[in-house]
Amino acid sequence: MTAPTFTRRALPALVALALSAPALTACGAMSSGETSSAASGSAASGPWSYTDDTGTTIDLDAQPTRVVAFADQALALLSYGITPVAIFGRTQVKTDPRFADYDLSGVEILGNTYGEIDLEKLAAAAPDIVVTGIYPSDRKGTLDTDGPYYGFSGVSQQKQVEKIAPVAAIEIGGKGIDVVESTTSLALALGADEDEVAEDKKSFEAAAADLRSATEANPGIEVTMMYADADGVYVVKTADEPESQLYSTYGVDYTDLHPKGAYYWDIYSWENAAEMMTGDVILANVEGYQADDLADQPTFADDPALVAGQVYSWNGAAMDYASQATQMTTLAKIISEAKDVV
Amino acid sequence: MPVTSPPRPAPGAGVAEPPRPGRPRRGGRRATLALTCAVLLVTAASLALGSNHLGLGQVVTGLLHPAEDTGAIVWGSRVPRTVLGLLVGACLGLAGAVMQGQTRNPLADPGIFGVSAGASLAVVVGVYVADLTSVLALLWLAFTGAVLATLLVFGVAALGKGLASPVPLALAGTAVTALLGALTSFLVLTDESTLAAYRVWVVGSLSGRTLEGIWPAVAIACVGAALAAANTRSLDTLALGTELAQGLGESLLRARLVGLGAITLLTAAGVALTGPIGFVGLTAPHLARRLVGSGHARLLPASAAVGAVVLLACDVVGRLIGGQSEVSVGVVLSVLGGVVFVAIVRRGRMAAL
Repeated sequence: MTAPTFTRRALPALVALALSAPALTACGAMSSGETSSAASGSAASGPWSYTDDTGTTIDLDAQPTRVVAFADQALALLSYGITPVAIFGRTQVKTDPRFADYDLSGVEILGNTYGEIDLEKLAAAAPDIVVTGIYPSDRKGTLDTDGPYYGFSGVSQQKQVEKIAPVAAIEIGGKGIDVVESTTSLALALGADEDEVAEDKKSFEAAAADLRSATEANPGIEVTMMYADADGVYVVKTADEPESQLYSTYGVDYTDLHPKGAYYWDIYSWENAAEMMTGDVILANVEGYQADDLADQPTFADDPALVAGQVYSWNGAAMDYASQATQMTTLAKIISEAKDVV
Repeated sequence: MPVTSPPRPAPGAGVAEPPRPGRPRRGGRRATLALTCAVLLVTAASLALGSNHLGLGQVVTGLLHPAEDTGAIVWGSRVPRTVLGLLVGACLGLAGAVMQGQTRNPLADPGIFGVSAGASLAVVVGVYVADLTSVLALLWLAFTGAVLATLLVFGVAALGKGLASPVPLALAGTAVTALLGALTSFLVLTDESTLAAYRVWVVGSLSGRTLEGIWPAVAIACVGAALAAANTRSLDTLALGTELAQGLGESLLRARLVGLGAITLLTAAGVALTGPIGFVGLTAPHLARRLVGSGHARLLPASAAVGAVVLLACDVVGRLIGGQSEVSVGVVLSVLGGVVFVAIVRRGRMAAL
């Protein structure tokens, strides 16, 4: 009978968690020096065609230069040097620390809460294409293309947006590397500089190698990726979250007590929290309880990671090479410094 | 609104003996006994049952040895939520009974006077402006907001010389609730990410809470209960209609003020401790009325007891049906409370107010 819990609380939180992209420090370093006009790089002439992760093919007379994107995808595009003409977000875009490294002065903000898109402003921005994400509804990667893509309040809103410009969706699910590659291929199709992307990829691979050496140098460190609130602890299932799936291929050992069963995470009430206290390091999703709140829970107070001071605030990073490199560097440092306490 | 027994105005006008309240439907003593047993049972169940299936022996060991692992579960989780469930349930049930008596509206719940909305707005403002997150700070914020909202509602209704009929009060309450709710949404939507403390509070759950800050809330609740007790006679008189009540020498202003005070303090105490919890204030008085009739001397304590039992019982159910996780009490209340409420209405003869 986990269904009510899952749908009522977990699902929004799942969505929130999965979607709240990038870390505070993400993105900037690689791309800040770069020019950021929309069609920088290889603006190809002639008809343009792109098939997105839902299988929808978008045909345009020319390569799109005016891009509108949902915040999470906008961050990835910005990292590749593509500045959207407008952004819609799940939280306040202008004050979102994830955007701190980018100049949004010429960018129209269409909405600051989930499902809010100012259609008049969208039309005025005259986009050639709208970019957002879509989340699979199960472990097999089923994409519900009859429902709205992520960021839209419903199908009717999405239809209205599609009247203004075609919508391309990136699947945020399954293998992490696929998500990164899909994000990158769309950015390239939109004119991202190939040399810049290649350089970002190199730094990504270097960071991945560093992460692998960190896990090898300090074996036995188990990382618990979780969200917690008054109802209990939600432990992310390694294979169901692209980020943990990706990093696990570089040797990160995540807490994964029940890989089968319900999609995306295991939920433990506070009474049952002891069952999941197997990690040496806790990555606590920024939207839920942090170390202080966790310490206030009597049934969690003796958690080894908490007692050892190894609880870190964690936010998913944008799925581009540079943001992922930054994220992996952060995690490698945490793992190197961690003490094996379990 | 019909009255179960015809009023028998005392001879002569002025401050007279109030009319006989509606006759109890069942023996008063049996109802008292039943309610006492129900409270004890649900308390025992709340301590014994949970999503971690401890044996009864382990629970007792845990109660005796707080330092052990089972002790952390029993003392850290079950005891606080039992205490909170009883206290908040009683507050909401009592507030609901006073509210329904004041408005003579069977669908009134404590939210109607803007109390919950005021509390929510104050919590959001406190978190947003001053970055307050401690339990005690939220408690005082919720309390202040609840009181201010009630004053606002009362002021609006009084301006329109509307104290006589309950309708302007309810309308003013609904309008103020909508306004405050809009302001809350505005703030929350403006900066969702900084409002984690508010989101945790607003869930309306008994889980994951501590007993920190409970004493001020208990004090506030006690004052509220005392005001409710002082309001008993007025509520019986008001049930006859405001004109008749005035004829009987009832001071409407005083009756309304005392009643509103009780509702505000009781709801504020409950809301401050666990966040807004619906349905208890609405259903508990109905169940209580079926048990003891509509005389407020019995209805008020019975509503408090029923409220405590309903809230805690729903919490226990939620703990048992979630597997290793739990279903939050708000969800259980909406589902079970809804079913029970429909059953009450369907059985016709909704006990008269």
